[in-house]
This record gives sequence, structure tokens and C-alpha cells, in this order.
Amino acid sequence: MAAVAALPDDVARVALELPLRANLSALDNIALIPLYQRHFNAAESARQAQLLLEQLGHPDIARLRDPDMTPAQRFVAKLARALILKRPRLVIDRPGAMLYDVPYPAFIRQLASQATMTGTWEIFDFSWNQSLYQA
Amino acid sequence: MNFLAATIESLGAKVTGWFAVGYAMFAFLARATLLLLDRTTWNRATLDVVVKQVYFTSVQILHVFLGYALVISWLIITIILSTARDFGLTEFASEMTIRVLVLELLPFLTALFIALRSGSAINTEIALMQVNNELDALAHCKVPPMQFEFLPRLLGGVISVVTLAGLAGLLALLTGYLAIYGMNTAGVEPYTQTIAKIFDFQIVAGLIAKCALFGLAVTLIPVTAGLETPKKLFMVPVSVLRGMMRVFFAIVAIEVVSLALKYI
Repeated sequence: MAAVAALPDDVARVALELPLRANLSALDNIALIPLYQRHFNAAESARQAQLLLEQLGHPDIARLRDPDMTPAQRFVAKLARALILKRPRLVIDRPGAMLYDVPYPAFIRQLASQATMTGTWEIFDFSWNQSLYQA
Repeated sequence: MNFLAATIESLGAKVTGWFAVGYAMFAFLARATLLLLDRTTWNRATLDVVVKQVYFTSVQILHVFLGYALVISWLIITIILSTARDFGLTEFASEMTIRVLVLELLPFLTALFIALRSGSAINTEIALMQVNNELDALAHCKVPPMQFEFLPRLLGGVISVVTLAGLAGLLALLTGYLAIYGMNTAGVEPYTQTIAKIFDFQIVAGLIAKCALFGLAVTLIPVTAGLETPKKLFMVPVSVLRGMMRVFFAIVAIEVVSLALKYI
């Protein structure tokens, strides 16, 4: 797992040890990126964040804060935050540690199949979970 | 001999620890100051967070704070007036009231109020962010924590303490007038003359500087104490305890130095 942590800066990571800001809503956590990195105003940043949540099929989690989300909702918020970074690679690190309330290979596959989702998502998981992905 | 060596060792470790804490605090302050002078810091996002911080630190508690300042001012003014009457020093009562309340007591109590309300919250929040890896997550997303989390808190603290102490001072001046002269305009001239005599440029600049230092102490120390927290949840209360003790000592030290500079 040290290899995942040592990934270069151009990799967007979704990982258990990269949590959301607890006192911000899912929408604000995602909107932080355009707000600070691309200097959009607050309204435009929130619009982009909301659009991304809609594309992922979870617009309803926008106002929820981290403690109020289910593991799957929290994962979607983290994924949206990683996607809005617009980095060439996206690594999902040990999804089982984050998605313990849903059959996670299917859940990730469903998210990835959204029409507007582009690029390659890489999943780093324990070798003993390999059979889950072959189902 | 072993006892002596252990004592010296423990003392040395403590002194080194104090220096390390002091150095970390000043290094952090230097970084924050440099960032403050950087034009790129002043974007809409940072300004929004500063405004939010000022709102949470001062506007949200304004009615409670002013009520508390009014009660304290009224009590102290009544004590000063009755003591001055007993000793036949009534003509000095207004000057003494202004000096004790507006220049010393109210700024000190404002700093304590903000320290207890916001300083402890800041310390806890930063410590939890540190323990929960939230700062690492922000760094991964290239959202600078200094601009997004720390600098707005420092600015919010300074602005809040200066403005709240100023408002409490104005309220005390008004209360003092009413207590001394009552509901008439007869005392306006002597009272304003006393105010003008006390508040020369040096005193006003010193008062603002003292309040700004109080504001810095009640935010900078909790932030750095929070950042020092080891990544263990049970260390959060220890971090808050240490941070708040440092805040208390810093507030007292600022007040003592200010008094010494003014009166010795």
C-alpha cells in the first residue's frame, strides 16, 4: 500500500486515508477544487460540483456532511472530488475499506459506466479480492 | 547522582520543548505574514472564508458579548464611583473609569471571551483535522490549508478582538457618562475633554496593537497547538489543554508587558 501513497502528483486518489472535510457538505468539498485551483467564483464552483454529482447519479448527497453520509455516498463524494481534479489518472485505493455497505465492484462499475465519465480508473485492491472483480 | 542527571535531563527536555514550540509558532507566523503580503492570496475564496470567520467569531456572539460588557462595565463603574466618592476624589472618577475599563479590563476580557469560545474550538478542529488526515487530503487536492483554513482564522481573530474590544469600550464610555452625569448633556464637555486627554495617538495605537496581539494569540496558538497533535485521537484533549494554557499565559504576558510599558 506504500506504493499507492507514493504515487506521483498527477494521480487523483480515492482512499480511506484521504477523507472529506468533516464540517463541509459534499458539494462544498467538491467545489473547493475549482474555487481554489481554477479561481472560479463560489456559485460557478458549486454549479460544477452539483453537475458532477448529478452525472454520478447522486445529486441528493450535495447538502450532506461526512458523518451524515452512508459509506457509499461518502465514496461518491470522494470520487467526485477526485474527478473534478481532472488529473490524467484516477486510482481507487482499497475500495473494500470504503464501500463495505454495497457489493463494490458492481457499484464502481455502475458509476464508471455513466456516459460522461471518461479516462481510466485504476483499482488497487488486495489480491484475495480478485475473484470479486471476475464475477 | 542519577537523580541529579535525570532532573537536568528532564529540565533540558522541557526547555528544548519550549524553544521548539516557540520556534514553530514564530515560523508559522512568518509564513502567514509572507502569504498575507502575497497578492495571489487575496482571491474571492479566501476573502469569503475570512468573512465567514469574522461572522462566527464576533457577529454571531455580538448580543451576548455586549450584554456581558454592559454588566461588567456597570459594576466596575459603580465600584469606582462609590470608592471615589468615599475618598473625595469624584473629579478623577471618569478618568479612572476610562483607564481601568476601556484601556485594560475590557480588551483583556474580550481576549479571554474569544479564547474560550473560538480559540478552544479552533484548537479542537485543527487537532481533529490533523488526526483524521483531512489536512493531507487537502494537500492531495492542492487546496492550500494555510489559505483555506489557517490564515482566515488568524485574520478573523485579530479583526474580531479589535472590533469587539472597541465596541465594548464605546459601550463603557457611554455607561460611564450615564453613571457619572445621568441623563443630561451637562457633562458632555468635561467628559469629552477627559476622553481627549487620555486617548492621545500613542495610547490609541498601543490599544489597537494590544488588541491585535490578543487576537493573534487566541488564534495562532490554538492553530499551532492543533498542528502539533500526534495522529492519535486520544491526544486531541491533551492538545486543546496545552493550547489553551499557552493562550492564557500569552494573554497575561501581553497584558503585563502593555501595563509595564504604559505605567513603569
